[in-house]
Amino acid sequence: MTLSLEATFREEWPRAVGILSRVLGDLSLAEDAVQDAFATALERWPRDGVPRSSGAWIVATARNGAIDRIRREKTFARKAELLARLEDVPADEDADVSSIPDERLALLFTCCHPALAVEARIALTLREVAGLQTPEIARAFLVTEPALAQRLVRAKRRLRDTGIPFRVPPEHLLPDRVPDVLRVLYLVFNEGYAASAGEVLVRRELCAEAIRLAKLVCVLMPDEPEAFGLLALLLLQDARRDARVGPDGELVLLADQDRELWDAASIDEGLRVLGRAESMRRAGPYQLQAAIAAGHAEGAAPEVIAATYEALERLDPSPIVRLNRAVAVALAGDVEEGLGLIDGIEGLDGYSYLPAARADLLRRLARNDEAAASYREALMLTDNAPERRFLERRLREVGG
Amino acid sequence: MRYALLVYSDQSDWDGIGDEEADARRAESMPRWLTLFDEMDKADPDVAGKELVAAAEAKVVRVVDGETVITDGPFAETKEQIGGLFLTTLPDLDEAIRIASLVPAAEYGSLEVRPIVER
Repeated sequence: MTLSLEATFREEWPRAVGILSRVLGDLSLAEDAVQDAFATALERWPRDGVPRSSGAWIVATARNGAIDRIRREKTFARKAELLARLEDVPADEDADVSSIPDERLALLFTCCHPALAVEARIALTLREVAGLQTPEIARAFLVTEPALAQRLVRAKRRLRDTGIPFRVPPEHLLPDRVPDVLRVLYLVFNEGYAASAGEVLVRRELCAEAIRLAKLVCVLMPDEPEAFGLLALLLLQDARRDARVGPDGELVLLADQDRELWDAASIDEGLRVLGRAESMRRAGPYQLQAAIAAGHAEGAAPEVIAATYEALERLDPSPIVRLNRAVAVALAGDVEEGLGLIDGIEGLDGYSYLPAARADLLRRLARNDEAAASYREALMLTDNAPERRFLERRLREVGG
Repeated sequence: MRYALLVYSDQSDWDGIGDEEADARRAESMPRWLTLFDEMDKADPDVAGKELVAAAEAKVVRVVDGETVITDGPFAETKEQIGGLFLTTLPDLDEAIRIASLVPAAEYGSLEVRPIVER
């Protein structure tokens, strides 16, 4: 497949699968019909040229293919009903693509329905909304192709068998469901961001995919500040990707990162998107995390960053956020208070960063014996070699 | 789509309480049951719902090697037992979850939403 055809297919896949799923109420049937239309395109386009409106051509061809498929089916009641519904799908190959109802947001909400397991939501979203092929997703998630294919089949079966609706949820459900959608995109991004050196290239695509999907969500939900907050956060984190791992694979702390390695264009875009989110005057957890990332990028005063963490903690009082806030408070100058905040955190047992952060604050207060004990505690909790080297160096510094 | 909504709760909560206390509890939750029945009727006029006699009164029947074996229920030592069920036709899972969350027992027990297999 040539590159441009591949790009067209990825662009048109969610649009065509969206409209057909909506009409047929059956994602698998819609997928089969669109797949057939792509096969036909692959055969004809190189010979006859790419149609004027490739999106409308694919929808019309998939619609006709679905009609053929349904006519061959046995059960009559369902057949008549489905054929009648397909009458609603535009059949004009030359129509402007904007005349086709855009059901991509409904597709996204359906793929991210809370009745599906989180892994299933991620796989479905990448397959149906991002238009990735099964082997690509399997590679990115380090699972075998049959395993990933199986996951998709099960998810689609569950959509059908439990009656998960194909639609954008009604107003009263949106406050619950928008975070579910954004979380799936955030998880896709993190999956790519947390990749270790050997696998960087293939998984880096996941970050790009998450950003592409977040942009789509912003286009489709232009009044949702958290969509813009998430996009800003992803852009700002992505901008620092090359700087955050050192030559030996060790994590480089933000303060020690080489700013020359930051992607300035991506930071600019992140700041602009964050501005848009903030202009809507409804702060959410993603927007505040983006504001913190922006603060770091722009060299904001530590007090400002600590205050933003405090606002974040009010919305999301999870132990991880509380730990980050405690460290920010200490960096802003009040080490004692930071230490007190750390000691009040519950629910992070076994998480090496907690004793590591505590040790660091004790070290700065010159309470070396206690610091050494906390560094040792952190060392017992991590197998990560670069992290261990860092902790052992610090342990020697405090004479432990 | 047809759904079974199975109502689970810890029936030992009702052990050893007097009639007065039991009546008071029922009276307290009555307004919420009435809201539920209203909403259910609106969503599906043909909804069917039944309360079951306490699980302690159940008989468990098994056929072992051709022999019918009857024991007293409940058959499993789980804390929550099924105390009733609704059969209803609803547009989708979101609506089934909404209706289930209106059942007062969802607060002190749990509701299981099970789509019915259509063949």
